[in-house]
Amino acid sequence: MDLKVDARKCTGCRICEFACNYHQDETISSIGSSLMFYFEEKKNYYGMMVKRAKTLYLGRPEGEQLLKPGEQIEGAGASAKPILLRVACDCCEDEDDGPLCVRACPYGVLSLEG
Amino acid sequence: MELMNNYKETILIVDLDAKQCDTESLSEDMVAAGLGGAGITAALYERYKDRDPLIIGTGFFTGTFMPGGCAGVVSAKSPVSGKLCHVPFGGYAAVELKLTGFDFVVVLGSSDSPVRLWLHDGLSDIDDASDIWGKDVWDSVDKIREAYGDEMIQLLVIGPSAEAQSKAAQFSVNYWGSFDKAALGAVFGAKKLKAIALRGLDSLDVAEGFFGACVDLKNAICSGAISGKSGLKDIARDIGIDAGAIEKLASMTHRNNAAYNCPYAAAAFVKYNEAPSAMDMKGHPAPGCLITDIRGFAALHGAGLDAGQAMEQCFRQGIEPEAAAKAGKTEGVSADAGKAAAFSTAVPASIFGSGQGDAWWQKRQALAAVLGIDPMLMVMAPEITEEKIVALVQMSAEWDEFSADELNRIAADVIAKSA
Repeated sequence: MDLKVDARKCTGCRICEFACNYHQDETISSIGSSLMFYFEEKKNYYGMMVKRAKTLYLGRPEGEQLLKPGEQIEGAGASAKPILLRVACDCCEDEDDGPLCVRACPYGVLSLEG
Repeated sequence: MELMNNYKETILIVDLDAKQCDTESLSEDMVAAGLGGAGITAALYERYKDRDPLIIGTGFFTGTFMPGGCAGVVSAKSPVSGKLCHVPFGGYAAVELKLTGFDFVVVLGSSDSPVRLWLHDGLSDIDDASDIWGKDVWDSVDKIREAYGDEMIQLLVIGPSAEAQSKAAQFSVNYWGSFDKAALGAVFGAKKLKAIALRGLDSLDVAEGFFGACVDLKNAICSGAISGKSGLKDIARDIGIDAGAIEKLASMTHRNNAAYNCPYAAAAFVKYNEAPSAMDMKGHPAPGCLITDIRGFAALHGAGLDAGQAMEQCFRQGIEPEAAAKAGKTEGVSADAGKAAAFSTAVPASIFGSGQGDAWWQKRQALAAVLGIDPMLMVMAPEITEEKIVALVQMSAEWDEFSADELNRIAADVIAKSA
């Protein structure tokens, strides 16, 4: 199973990041999340990145993109770099009611596939 | 009471006369008396009112899983009304403030030269801002982010209008203006405080069961009064905005944006320098602007200006859009629009059939300002009942003694102190 992002439904509320962080270390923050919002504010260009076990998944408004280690993250900007140090998404396997980010999102942006 | 689920337990005192920062603890007694946000900024205002305080506060639920928990409040004596006013600010800025490690910031006195305040990682720096004094809001945001090396920095910032202490001035949240109709931006200007820059990488603890309770409330909100509604245009239609202005807004809307943890996306990014449908990142470097104040947008449209571009000019200059519309121009505006009040008049009295009169609206705004909940959501989501608020305060702070009577007392106290 993998987490999937429908970036065109996203409104940038970012609660998914904080929900993921809560799953990872039981606090509310964004720095330990496997998800990362990336944002070029003046262009209002935004989407979500997901750190997977062996790849980096980009949910961009133009479409999805999957990057392997070492591949260039085109256009993700400086705000994207810290995700490479993050814990990989485990799809909240130990959560009875499913991934916390999926539950927290008000807009149906996130889902599991596979 | 367990404060660490809601606060970092620190108040920053910034003395601009002496250019010194100090801290004091946010005590359980202060939270018991005022809960948060405007409930505490009003108390701090009383304590420091002989030094022209400008107080920035986070609410009890700011930065938590509480739906709509995005908001902070800027409290100061309005240069327009001469009374204490509480202006909400959202996006991510208030969450960022709390996660810097400071729940409240009290700015006292005034600097003899332009400064900016840089809050990060529990640290506070008063830095020289002479390089950006005189620059517009957009240039200032870019230069501050570049100087501190982080494009995710959130800002409360002023433009030339507030530097000149115009009664038409407003402070801006990043590039996009604010709900400041009380000229609190001019208070920044009088202090020579160009900006407060925020980057917060701290965390809050979470009470057992709080996440699930908030998800349940979010689901109730999404299936309640806002169900089937979308974006700022539906709010505009509901509150009777001129059809021409709505058509203009709808024709330019690129995406609807939500503030942190808001289940209704009440901001519209409009594009006028490239096609609104363009989703690629390689387009115009500044294709448009983010509209939250629909009345400001409509007023500019009604004044015969190109509302999207006029909003950008207001944002750049740091001018309240309704004041600009009244003046019929977007530069050199000196008079306010007569909209200053204790709580921002940018928030409609009723959205999607929620309105129950002036007293109801004022109480909902007071609660929003105390709790750190988006003030628009507090009007449009009746599912956020006072009973639910009390239950979530009790749960979050492990504070069984907190009651509906206390919530009513705190809201009434904030309203009375701002009258």
